[in-house]
Amino acid sequence: MSGARRIEEGVRRPDRVTLRLDGADLAACPGESVLAALVASGARRLRDDREGTARGAFCNMGTCSECTVWVRKGAAAWVRRRACLVPVEADLCVLTHAPEAT
Amino acid sequence: MNASMSYDVAIVGGGPAGMAAAERTIGAGLSTCLIDEQPRLGGQILRQPPPGFAVTGWQSGRLYRAARALLARVERLDAFDFRAGHAVLGVGAGHAEEGGFALSVQPLATGGVERIDARRVIVAGGCYDMPVAFPGWTLPGVMSAGAVQTLLKSPQVLPGGRIALFGTHPLMIVLAEQILAAGGEVAGVHFAQPRRAMLAALGPRLPGVLRAWRPLLEGARGLANLRQAGVPVHFGSAIVRAEGGDALEAITLLRAGGRERVACDVAAMCYGFLPQSDLVRQVGAAVRWAPGPGGWETLCDEGMRSSLPGLYVAGETAGVAGSDVAMLRGALAGVTLACDAGALDEVEGARVAAALRARIARLAPFTAMLRELADPQAYLPEPELETLVCRCEDVSARALDAAIAACAEGDDGFGASAVKLRCRAGMGLCQGRSCEHAVIRRIARASGREAAQVAGFTARFPARAVPIAELLERDAPAR
Ligand SMILES: Cc1cc2nc3c(=O)[nH]c(=O)nc-3n(C[C@H](O)[C@H](O)[C@H](O)COP(=O)(O)OP(=O)(O)OC[C@H]3O[C@@H](n4cnc5c(N)ncnc54)[C@H](O)[C@@H]3O)c2cc1C
Ligand code: FES
Repeated sequence: MSGARRIEEGVRRPDRVTLRLDGADLAACPGESVLAALVASGARRLRDDREGTARGAFCNMGTCSECTVWVRKGAAAWVRRRACLVPVEADLCVLTHAPEAT
Repeated sequence: MNASMSYDVAIVGGGPAGMAAAERTIGAGLSTCLIDEQPRLGGQILRQPPPGFAVTGWQSGRLYRAARALLARVERLDAFDFRAGHAVLGVGAGHAEEGGFALSVQPLATGGVERIDARRVIVAGGCYDMPVAFPGWTLPGVMSAGAVQTLLKSPQVLPGGRIALFGTHPLMIVLAEQILAAGGEVAGVHFAQPRRAMLAALGPRLPGVLRAWRPLLEGARGLANLRQAGVPVHFGSAIVRAEGGDALEAITLLRAGGRERVACDVAAMCYGFLPQSDLVRQVGAAVRWAPGPGGWETLCDEGMRSSLPGLYVAGETAGVAGSDVAMLRGALAGVTLACDAGALDEVEGARVAAALRARIARLAPFTAMLRELADPQAYLPEPELETLVCRCEDVSARALDAAIAACAEGDDGFGASAVKLRCRAGMGLCQGRSCEHAVIRRIARASGREAAQVAGFTARFPARAVPIAELLERDAPAR
């Protein structure tokens, strides 16, 4: 966990929605990026590299791909996306690891 | 698969440069499509809060005033298409007879790949923070200064409880103030270069630089504010390593007085910026190795035309020079293009272009001074042999050196692509953007060449990683 938090002073946000993150619920603001929601929740480790070493986001601007996750909206298929470019919305499921092949 | 759409102009990038260009092409009556993978207009300097957020006094500082005025003007225009949330994967040749360009574009929300046709293209892709490898830099919590800044600006999220800044770029002062204003704690600002090196860059240019006094004043005021807030600001303080288990716990710095260990949950690096140029390289426009942090800046004439007819560049893609220059160059690209397309009277166009160029020239001394003052080359930390240089493919400095040594046996003039084939550095999801400059520098050092003499990775389609399944939905080019 980090000391990350949402800035509250002078900021009005829409009502939270619930994301499914790796099977657990996470309250997040619609419109903020999935990465911002993860960071605000205190999460820093987003994946493990080939050695099993923890990794996290680096650039928050779409260039490094370190934040790559799998997302699914409603009943659609899982797609691989950079979490810093995916806006939070209701009905969004996020996996930090590859979905099980079904 | 959507039908192809056709425009007079497609502009890649909705930052200060792309917006300024769009304002001119739209003003000249050209049908214009502006494309950005971000959800809103503004680019990196003006990453807007999500729709539905209300933020009091958002980016109200003087440094942001001109860019904000441009953003407000462009947001009021309705005669153009803005494709937000669309990643441009490639720029290729257009129709066989009509010429022009075909852009492959991935709508991030719906997936697949669409084609956008345009007679002319302006690439205004901006720049990105120079990623610098040192022991522990892959720990979660070590990030770019831009990442911290854009988390503050857009979603209004403080990424850590104690944030340390290190590097060589004065943007650290601006960022430290933004962290404080957000109620965060700055664990220290560490300039790797000594203060005298910064003053030496400033001194000789002072008369010319003083014409752009505003940013200097803001910098000095910022430093004073940080001191008053009790934030330690050090010069000649170089990063050695980052430590932690599953995430960052502390960084260690080395300076004249000895070593210092600084506890922090986020450490942000700020060594300057590399031009975003994968699209122009992919389509074959000429580039050159940039001074300072390096990377590839696109060669262009005084009207922002690249070496490829019909392809223009603007903003940091043409060389990193800050948002004021980015806006002016964007406007210049738009005006030149409008003249070339016959949509703007030549005499009028030449008059406007000359005025824009004069304003760019006035900013040149400041840009040059900033580049020299922030130049990271003499202060880059050294990775250990086990440090990963390529983050995507987990290639260590040791493996990279072995590949470089193997390449050197066969051929003196080998470039980054040969090294990539042997050790996979640059083959990962980021398409080599993160490690290319480091690979080039290591090759240069090992073979006694200048970085500018080493060929980079061959830029390939797609410029952004796309799953194969989505690429297969791609339209066959129209014949
Ligand atoms: C993270 C970050 C923060 C910065 N903050 C400041 C600051 O506070 N003050 C300052 O003076 N300077 C800042 N800079 C420098 C700054 O980028 C510029 O001065 C200014 O924003 C440049 O304008 P531009 O239009 O050239 O590029 P940008 O503003 O970077 O705009 C380029 C746009 O192109 C889009 N793009 C690029 N490639 C693609 C693609 N393939 N497909 C789709 N879209 C694409 C990007 O999403 C981006 O929105 C920052 C730079 C970075 C990287
Ligand atoms: S954090 Fe770099 S691409 Fe998202």
